[in-house]
Amino acid sequence: MATLSAHGIEAPLPGGFEGRIFVRTPVAEESTYPVAQFATFSLPDDVADFGGGAVTLMGPDDIFAALFEYGPESVGRRLFARQGMPRSLSVGDFRPYLLRRGLGGQSGTQWFFTESGRPFTLYVVLGSDARAAALVPRVNSLIGPMTITGTTPPLMPAAAAGAGERWN
Amino acid sequence: MIALAVVLSVVVALLAVLVAGLLRSHADILRALHDLGVGVGDPATTGTAATPTPVPLTIGPPLPAERSTTTAPTVSGSTPGGDALAVAVAGTGGLTLLAFLSSGCATCAGFWNALRRPDGPGLPGNTRLVVVTKGPDTEIPAEVASRAAPHLTVIMSTDAWRDYEVPGSPFFVLVDGPSGRRIGEGVARHIDQVVDLVRRAEVDNSPVPPPAADTHGSGGASASRAQASGLDGPERERANDRELAAAGILPGDPSLYPSSLEDLYGPAGHRRSDVATDGTAARTG
Repeated sequence: MATLSAHGIEAPLPGGFEGRIFVRTPVAEESTYPVAQFATFSLPDDVADFGGGAVTLMGPDDIFAALFEYGPESVGRRLFARQGMPRSLSVGDFRPYLLRRGLGGQSGTQWFFTESGRPFTLYVVLGSDARAAALVPRVNSLIGPMTITGTTPPLMPAAAAGAGERWN
Repeated sequence: MIALAVVLSVVVALLAVLVAGLLRSHADILRALHDLGVGVGDPATTGTAATPTPVPLTIGPPLPAERSTTTAPTVSGSTPGGDALAVAVAGTGGLTLLAFLSSGCATCAGFWNALRRPDGPGLPGNTRLVVVTKGPDTEIPAEVASRAAPHLTVIMSTDAWRDYEVPGSPFFVLVDGPSGRRIGEGVARHIDQVVDLVRRAEVDNSPVPPPAADTHGSGGASASRAQASGLDGPERERANDRELAAAGILPGDPSLYPSSLEDLYGPAGHRRSDVATDGTAARTG
């Protein structure tokens, strides 16, 4: 089983999943933080943080998941009050109207939480809401063994000068 | 006259010494070979008993006894920028070309340059290209980054080299996503060779359209279907026979024994009418 590990996030990948953990190069004065993306289909190069450019490519049996870290100023806010990432989701957690981009037949779920002192959101899209019963266990096999440790410093514009091209 | 005789005598004496030296050297070599256990005959030497000794001979890295040439595990590692990246090559919709390159090998330099071309290497549209170098334990990420084009997918992973049992760089592996199997691998010296190989594989993997006179209503025979499903040898032949029979092509069918291009593609006039019925006719009519 392949394991992805970078920026304090470690994810053993179940069969059929691919993924990436990266920090985008900051633009202007922004600070950027780690993003992890996982999919059961080929992720294009230019995928937005929450799957823009990828979810339109999903088949009915596909899954897309994104783990997005926010800045430390979010720690302690009510939105991130939940401690720990959900490690097991149910079919009832997925709703078509929870999609950031509503695509017919798909459904999604989003969770905000804090783990190891780091504020995150977990966003998962199912290719077909009708097949949620078969797809959700695969989602759980992905997020179940995932670990988040430590605190990574934000990537500031100055530090990004030598950081290379995005995730690649 | 006397002087000539003296010179000849000296020359003969020198040659005799030379021959004696050569014979002695030859005898030493034979004795050494005999001591190593690879001598021929029974030399009359005494003293050093000739006990056969195994001589280790190693050429290149040892290869596994049973090298897997079909499995296609997920390639995971880090990017030259320090991020993590994993690419699943099995279970995907198209072909994936894994290019195992190094930052230091001279032959690889040509491939790095070819992959920097603005128009790309010319791979078929459904082919995903992934360059795999060894991990940061062996390669310097900055060196790899300096050779890679900005939007080239590069994974640094020594594990992938081990998983695919790559003997050296450059080395290429072509994986068919739907079947999850390697359908080609090997060494190339130029990117055009690789592109040509991928195109051939794509043609071989594309389904053959059903025959025009398909009175049975079944799909067309596809040799690659049997290949993609993992069949080989007699099983593959039987599978092809079944598909041909389902399409109404039985043993002895004349279409199996073409004698001209017209047997394969139909009369020339018919071919022209085929062309005229698609886009050309629509534009002119």
